[in-house]
Amino acid sequence: MTAPVAERQREGLHAPTARSWRTLLQPAIILAAGLAWMVYIETSSLDSIESRVLAPGYVATKTWEHVQLTLVSTLLVLAIAVPLGVALSRRWARRAAPVVLAFANIGQSAPAIGVVVLLAVLWGVGFWTAIVALVAYGVLPALRNTMVGLRQVDPSLTDAARGIGMPPVTVLRRVELPLAAPVILAGIRTTLVLMVGTASIASFINGGGLGDLVTTGVTTQRTPVLLTGCVLIALLALLIDWLGGVAARLLAPKGL
Amino acid sequence: MTDAETGSSGIEMINVTKRFPGLSAPAVDDVTLTFPGGEIVVLLGPSGSGKTTTMRLINRLEEPTSGKIVVAGRDALSLDPTELRRHIGYVIQDAGLFPHMTVAANIGLVPKMLKWDKQRISDRVDELLDLVDLPPATFRDRYPRALSGGQRQRVGVARALAADPPVLLMDEPFGALDPLTREHLQDSLLALQERLRKTIVFVTHDIDEALKIGDRIAVLDKGSRIAQYGTPQEILLNPADDYVEQFLGGTSAMRLLTFGRVADVPLEQVVSARPGDDAAELRATLREDGRCGVVLEDGDRPRRWITADELTGVTGPVGERGSPTAPPIRAHDTLQRALEALIQVDRDRVPVVSASGAYRGTVTLATVQAAVRGMRDEADA
Amino acid sequence: MNFWEYLHSRRELLLFETWQHASMVLQCVLAALILGVALGVAVYRSPRWSALAAGSAGVLFTIPSLALLGLLITPLGLGVAPSVVALTLYALLPIVRNTIVGLAGVDRTLVDAARGIGMSRAATLARVEFPLAWPVILTGVRVAAQLALGIGAIAAYVSGPGLGEQIFSGLGRLGGANSVNMTLAGTLGIVLLALLFDGCFLLVGRLTTPRGIRD
Repeated sequence: MTAPVAERQREGLHAPTARSWRTLLQPAIILAAGLAWMVYIETSSLDSIESRVLAPGYVATKTWEHVQLTLVSTLLVLAIAVPLGVALSRRWARRAAPVVLAFANIGQSAPAIGVVVLLAVLWGVGFWTAIVALVAYGVLPALRNTMVGLRQVDPSLTDAARGIGMPPVTVLRRVELPLAAPVILAGIRTTLVLMVGTASIASFINGGGLGDLVTTGVTTQRTPVLLTGCVLIALLALLIDWLGGVAARLLAPKGL
Repeated sequence: MTDAETGSSGIEMINVTKRFPGLSAPAVDDVTLTFPGGEIVVLLGPSGSGKTTTMRLINRLEEPTSGKIVVAGRDALSLDPTELRRHIGYVIQDAGLFPHMTVAANIGLVPKMLKWDKQRISDRVDELLDLVDLPPATFRDRYPRALSGGQRQRVGVARALAADPPVLLMDEPFGALDPLTREHLQDSLLALQERLRKTIVFVTHDIDEALKIGDRIAVLDKGSRIAQYGTPQEILLNPADDYVEQFLGGTSAMRLLTFGRVADVPLEQVVSARPGDDAAELRATLREDGRCGVVLEDGDRPRRWITADELTGVTGPVGERGSPTAPPIRAHDTLQRALEALIQVDRDRVPVVSASGAYRGTVTLATVQAAVRGMRDEADA
Repeated sequence: MNFWEYLHSRRELLLFETWQHASMVLQCVLAALILGVALGVAVYRSPRWSALAAGSAGVLFTIPSLALLGLLITPLGLGVAPSVVALTLYALLPIVRNTIVGLAGVDRTLVDAARGIGMSRAATLARVEFPLAWPVILTGVRVAAQLALGIGAIAAYVSGPGLGEQIFSGLGRLGGANSVNMTLAGTLGIVLLALLFDGCFLLVGRLTTPRGIRD
């Protein structure tokens, strides 16, 4: 199966990571754009439905929900995927790894909305169902990523580490994980972006978040509400992508 | 030089300068150089000397900042570069074969662009493969990755020759090959040039390659400054300045020996005899001469060295007496070869034979020394 | 009604929606291929423009599909139009990026050799650079198709065509009969299409990659 190539390509699709002073320019622009949009919306003439849904407090609540959905699901995804990925890249799991990878590749082609709705249909709606759905959707790519990251560590280096008498746990901690760190960290960023996007469809199953503004906008046919939802989701996604990029850079071991 | 002197297929560069944007020093600084038609001119220099850039100006892969370039009698700068390049063969390191095309398609590219008909292209491809010693039946439908490095480079040369251009540019073509293959391809190129008489510009940083391949060598310093331009012998015998001398290294005498032929130096004659000659008579002659003699057998082939002592008390014919000679060297061998042979034998001399194997004389260390001294004197004169 | 009975009873509708889904994705990816390759070819020689194109593609890619669809229905209304535009845009990104990467990744000495033997810029692009970059571009197309299949499901929210309708019908009948069946049918249908597409791309790759560079 040559799907892994395609997957790697997919994960490489990020907004460029900015450097030096521009690092701070990017979030500043994003925040300024969000603020400007809110000021523009709040000062335009709104009818009763619009002004209720677009009240700053309500929008802030929805944004906070969205951030919660994103962060909680990302943390859970990592808590599951990274240890599992490490375990599956051990010698004793060598036979299982390709099967898991193949399964991950197929599972990843399931549409996010399908996974989210399916879980709601089976378990009922709400924040935690949304979290479970997001985690279910996000775990496979993150798992794949961890395994790929560990697998691309030069075997001669792990050999050298074993050769100087490191026990397996030390080899993992001192050699494999640091060397795989860039790939794993890039995977965290990918997961964040994936989660912030998928979190927007949590509103279909009453999971909250900025998607609520979009659905409300569509069902009540209120364009300002719809647009506010879309603009804020887009800006939040860009902001979180930036954060992921910064985190990946700060956490990466020096010299790599 | 005028057109008549360079021949119709020569190249002239006149006050050519190339500056790259953002670099203060020009890569090629006011170079004037004539490449005579039908000769191989080597641009020799260390990396960074601008030799490749100089060559790439000729087919305008680099556009000169100023100056004039004439290729085969035509002003290169006024021609369409694409059109110009179709009439200049181009060979690069690793051959630059297109991996998605077969050997035949690679070679046939330029003829195809020149709109030759299919049959003519196909015939030409076979002809060229034969020329570079690759049997067409085996090689024409192969893809480059199924070829060895040497074979790839042969195809590269064939591709460059496809439209029979009068001029060939070769950019370190054998640089990536192992020494044995390189040597072999150099010989093939020389044999090819014997027949084709192209004007070849050959870029290399390998002195031995330059000395072997070049009819003339231009030794280049930074900015493509021409430190010296002359025949290999001239450069070896009379390095123009410290830079050239340093670049040649301290072994120029050894290298010089590759240019002298055994046939060109006075051979030392010793007493020669035949197995049927009278031993006592030969002993007297040898005693008088003081050196050893040589016994020749049928076809005048030198077989054994013979000394007076070995004949002491012998009556009748010389017969099989004496000690066998080392394998003889041939008159058209280089002096370097002669020196090698001398070092390896336990005598102070080696017999020399003609192409047919007949004895011509002997070579000693003194002969070789005298030859080098002769070349030096000639150069100084 | 169990899942198999559901599939059987709705087979015509399901087949029709599967066909719609596949056809929409295929058309969008084709459009994206043409646009993306044109764009990639236009910028790949300039590092600055390449970075700009890849960067914009990355930004657009980060924007969640629901947000993009929502933004598009304001000018385009509900239905096929916003779905097709969104899908084409998302499909464009991997293709542009891979076209740039593929063309920039062609060994410079080969381009040099091509120009050295007298091929024009256009001929070099068509005969040397593009064929050598094609496997990379095709990988981009595969990624694009996989993305478009998944995002195509959300398109049903803005009344777009395809298997997403099953999922949203399931959502609409939450707790009711067949809601599980509908959602499952839509989701699995898309997974199957993804596998089918991937197989087709492998085949297309095999058939269109020149023999000398196939691995």
